[in-house]
Amino acid sequence: MPDAVNASSPVSDTSKFVLKPFTPEDEAALRESLRRCAPSSFEAAVQFRRTGNPEHVPAVVIGVIERFVEPDLRSKLKDADDDLRLIEDLGIDSLTMMEIVILVEDVLQMSINNDELRNLRTVGDVKTFIDCKIRGLAVPKPTRFIPIEVIAAVMPMQPPFLFINEASVSSTAANGRYRITGQEFFLQGHFKDNPVMPASIMLEALGQLAVLYLLEGHPAEAGKVINPATIYFTGCEGVRAHRVCRPGDLLSLSIKPKRSKMPLATFEGSIRVGQEKAVMVEEITLTFALMDAPTPPLAPPAPAPEPTTPEPAKAPAPDGSPKTPDA
Amino acid sequence: MPRVFITGLGFITSIGNDASAVSESLRTLRHGVALFEPFQKDDVPVKVAAPVRDFRLEGVDPEDWTYPSRYTIRREVIRSMAPNGVYAWCAAQQAIEDAGLSEADISNPDTGLYAASGGSPFMLGYLLNRLNTHGVMRCSPLGIVASIAGTLNFNLVAHLRIKGSSCGFSSACASSSHALGYAYDDIVLGRQKRMIVVGAEDCNRESILPFAGMRALSLQKDPNRASRPFDAARDGFVGTGGAAVLILESEDEVARRGTKVYCELVGWGQASDGHNVAISHPEGAGLSGAMVKALRATKMEPGEVSYINAHATSTPIGDLSEARAIKTIFSPSGASPAVSSTKALTGHGLSLAGAMETGFCALAIKEGFTPGSANITTLDPACDGISILRETLPTGPTVAFNNSSGFGGANVCLVLRKA
Repeated sequence: MPDAVNASSPVSDTSKFVLKPFTPEDEAALRESLRRCAPSSFEAAVQFRRTGNPEHVPAVVIGVIERFVEPDLRSKLKDADDDLRLIEDLGIDSLTMMEIVILVEDVLQMSINNDELRNLRTVGDVKTFIDCKIRGLAVPKPTRFIPIEVIAAVMPMQPPFLFINEASVSSTAANGRYRITGQEFFLQGHFKDNPVMPASIMLEALGQLAVLYLLEGHPAEAGKVINPATIYFTGCEGVRAHRVCRPGDLLSLSIKPKRSKMPLATFEGSIRVGQEKAVMVEEITLTFALMDAPTPPLAPPAPAPEPTTPEPAKAPAPDGSPKTPDA
Repeated sequence: MPRVFITGLGFITSIGNDASAVSESLRTLRHGVALFEPFQKDDVPVKVAAPVRDFRLEGVDPEDWTYPSRYTIRREVIRSMAPNGVYAWCAAQQAIEDAGLSEADISNPDTGLYAASGGSPFMLGYLLNRLNTHGVMRCSPLGIVASIAGTLNFNLVAHLRIKGSSCGFSSACASSSHALGYAYDDIVLGRQKRMIVVGAEDCNRESILPFAGMRALSLQKDPNRASRPFDAARDGFVGTGGAAVLILESEDEVARRGTKVYCELVGWGQASDGHNVAISHPEGAGLSGAMVKALRATKMEPGEVSYINAHATSTPIGDLSEARAIKTIFSPSGASPAVSSTKALTGHGLSLAGAMETGFCALAIKEGFTPGSANITTLDPACDGISILRETLPTGPTVAFNNSSGFGGANVCLVLRKA
């Protein structure tokens, strides 16, 4: 996790985990609560309850999620990365999400509000969320899916020199996609009668995803935002191209922040086509500067405001329609 | 007016978990009453119930429940169910298979589902207790839909992907008869082509023992003598649970699908006592009113009725009221239909009763037998002038009444006719 997250996150005393004595009765209750989960989840929960060490939390959370996933989908969770989506990939609906939360609350002795659940979309979101709750940190922005119109609106790069079609951004990563159409102007000459996506442009695409992360996912200081006009490339290390990419290929781009200290932010990045590696980059470093956050009267249209009235936690149903319990 | 037929049946009952087992029990008067393990405690004076065999739905966690292996219920389905939902799910699978219905036949705007259960006091008790002990936000998100009175229709309508009419009925022991009556109306009015009607109840301490407080349950310790409607020494009803599911279809739909039918549902009547919240009218005023309405609706004379499946639950007051109501309707014309209460075999299934007993009548008409009223040693003299059937007849009724009465003085009479 970038240092900036910790440095800029206010500690909330009310939500901080407080270690309580762990009695044999507690252990029996814990065993009962987790009896349908893998034994490793129970062991991790015991360790956490004894020590309060957050390192044990992911094993508990994954074990609880696994217990609520239909058996035929559990294999997906076995070697899942943090981008595995709860609804689309695991078939978890909003009610099952609440079942998961209630069990996690019970096992980890914490409270979670409905509002906090609404945007948890991936396994990584859930792990990060629980981890922050236990450490008493402010929960980072959850993964957001950003469509092409929004990308074009916020990015300093514009077509025909924008190489991201869609993206998702969280505080810990950004993922994007770009389909090579064959209409890109540079393919006319790269190469003669042999259109191949230039490796330099693929590196550019990863750099653009890192820019999008800085603008949409990077935790900034209070009252400050990153000035889009100040972001520039400064360097890269360990770039390797593994695969020739041609028109029709769908590039899956991924970057993760490694270090961030004003005025530099360093990322690792990769591009895949399906499961095949295309480009791997050990480090891409960008420079940036902050500016004052726009004052409200001058602000661009803000994202949808938080509802002011409490309502049940919502997650979109697999068909995309909102799904709430009917009274 | 379009005619309505019963084309499919499913049973999970104390006297059998499919139609053939139920039919065999009705013919041989084999009852399902037993000493009920949860009642074998010093502070529980009630000792017997009529449990459902091969289902163990005891804990509060549906994933602990066991049921016959011919059924599979996915976690996402069973997690929101009460025990009555599990019984009903299994009975519905039978009825759907029996009627030869495909998924497309069930999930369309012309097919609806009406259901009746009293909810699950057991699941509701657990939910409220957890709310009080663990906190408001630590209750299962599905606790409500697994426990309140509509749990049966919520679950079945959603999980069977029903797209037509759907509703739950809540008139206690008349509930599933009301459901059948209004399902009939929906088809006759052309609103639906097919209706699935479900009655189901839990069968546990919490569903049965609250009736002990009103002194409605038999305190007999002998399972062979506990449920004996119309017997002079009857002392209350025996609780049961389970599920019965009936498929009703319009005559056009029967012709289009070329399916077999059990019998015709000809019409129905209902009337209320206007008397007492829990005690039936001493002269059976509401029940005789329901039978009058049923005769009028079906344009029948009392002499055409060959069999009455009585509501008679084996309580002193209720059976007497019904006997008087039957005399009021049939004696003036000298008609004397055979009368029996199959609750002597099954116990009283509350919201389940009307659907279960209409299913019994459909089996009797189709298969050609008339079930007797078991366990009568000394017939109550108040039944003089009524043809209480003591043994099963090897011939089936041509026209059958199924009576049901519920709390508040609600009464329903359904009329079935050989097709």
